Amino acid sequence: MSGIARGRLTEERKSWRKNHPHGFVAKPETLPDGTVNLMVWHCTIPGKPGTDWEGGFFPLTLHFSEDYPSKPPKCKFPQGFFHPNVYPSGTVCLSILNEDSGWRPAITVKQILVGIQDLLDQPNPADPAQTEGYHLFIQDLAEYKRRVKQQAKQYPPLLL
Amino acid sequence: MENNAFKDENQHHQTFEPFVCCVCLDLLYKPIVLSCGHISCFWCVHKSMNGVRESHCPICRHPYCHFPTICQKLHFLLLKMYPDAYKNREKQTLEEERNMGCFSPQFNVYTHGSHVSDHSGIMPNCTITNQVSNSSSIEPLECLEQTGSAIHKGDEDTTIYSEHTSNETPEVFGTTSDEGKKLFHNEHNQQQKILIEDVMCTFCKQLLFHPVVLNCGHVYCDTCIINLAEEMLKCPVCQSPHPSGSPKVCLVLDHFLEEQFPAEYAQRRDAIQQSNLKAKPETTSCSLHNGKGEKITNPRLEVHTGVGCDFCGVYPITGDRYNCLDCKEVIGFDLCGDCYKIRSKLPGRFNQQHTPEHQFQRVQYLHAVRSLLREQNSLENFLIIAQDTMMANEEDDQNDSEAGT
Repeated sequence: MSGIARGRLTEERKSWRKNHPHGFVAKPETLPDGTVNLMVWHCTIPGKPGTDWEGGFFPLTLHFSEDYPSKPPKCKFPQGFFHPNVYPSGTVCLSILNEDSGWRPAITVKQILVGIQDLLDQPNPADPAQTEGYHLFIQDLAEYKRRVKQQAKQYPPLLL
Repeated sequence: MENNAFKDENQHHQTFEPFVCCVCLDLLYKPIVLSCGHISCFWCVHKSMNGVRESHCPICRHPYCHFPTICQKLHFLLLKMYPDAYKNREKQTLEEERNMGCFSPQFNVYTHGSHVSDHSGIMPNCTITNQVSNSSSIEPLECLEQTGSAIHKGDEDTTIYSEHTSNETPEVFGTTSDEGKKLFHNEHNQQQKILIEDVMCTFCKQLLFHPVVLNCGHVYCDTCIINLAEEMLKCPVCQSPHPSGSPKVCLVLDHFLEEQFPAEYAQRRDAIQQSNLKAKPETTSCSLHNGKGEKITNPRLEVHTGVGCDFCGVYPITGDRYNCLDCKEVIGFDLCGDCYKIRSKLPGRFNQQHTPEHQFQRVQYLHAVRSLLREQNSLENFLIIAQDTMMANEEDDQNDSEAGT
């Protein structure tokens, strides 16, 4: 295995420890035997203050492949996450995470997480990924907002 | 293997800004400057290239088809600025290269001398034949690039296998010049002072102003290049074509020059502004939609997946491809149809021991695929294989997409 994925992820980890946006969590998975798996990161994205997402701390998992950073990581919320641009499986649909449109190896984990935080309150109706979230967003904004606030309550801050 | 196995804690505190590679987030090593002006390491560029179609800059997604040559001016600049860290990177990279069985170009003992002569001797109108005669004694690097002559053959083995195995020794990077000796005696951990001679334009012999790096790795002021521009830009030193439209200013280097030599830089700027008010060159960095961008690979031509031309750097080769029968390296030695016609005498881009006497065979498309499959086991670490249309994560999203729209 001589790709640069692990080296890059080590640097990402270092840079995150040095400095990261407030309220965000990002750490590589620890396996049951205590070893660290750099290829899977468990993250938390805080809902932006002043939006319906405020108060929620949404768990997100980043799956890196050996081709990272040539290829983007796969970013997943829990299955069934309510958002027009999140597939039913939880996978986030975002241009910067698409290898063929917006992904660049220069994009850092920090930028990904902040990008997804922005996406939460600014869904892209041109690129829907689930029926429920999309239809409510288009047809019944009041109900959409209610669901968003309800979901935020489902993900309270983690007790550390 | 871990990239960082060799790093010690001290290094973690050293910052290499602005010379961090955005792909590996480490100090740039054997830097390559793409035609959009962005810099990345040799292997970071190669590994992020697309083996099936055009590639995109890791920073701005500017499309390109040619794998550029290492920018030696930057290489030696970085070595001078961060001697310890840079040598560490060399050690790391060499280790990985051994595991891969494929090497990046090695700069042998004469290289440094050539670097020095790079900004003192070569006239821009120098022809290839001149190069050959010069190179046999003082400029083996140009020689490597131009002729792949006996010097190359003789030195490279030792360069890789003996000299580089003892990678603590400073002569790895060559100490024949005075500059080199200084480097040798220099205390570790101390940055050396960067001289204007290190960052001069080969063409105008002045401090580089708005530097651009051509596909061959040579650096010029963008005004020096633009005045020369004809149909296809050619490097004034090595005559290699620059296939990617007009190169953009390498802003990282430009800002560095402005910081290091504020007075000289301002002087250059004023002089150029005065003399060149009319023909104002493009000085912006990257634009994603550069009209003069490279032509996109013709989809009807056979694509030799994951195989690049060792002369012009086009990657992947489309259409005719010629493979060297005598090069024993795993990666092989290949030329595209055009470069085969002009009979390139260069050694390979991956330090192959190619010489002009070697025989070629034309590679049929099917044969290419088969040989790729055969070699895949040893090559899979650094070749991008033709699966990029069906990625694992799309599978998932395809299942999902029924629910969408």
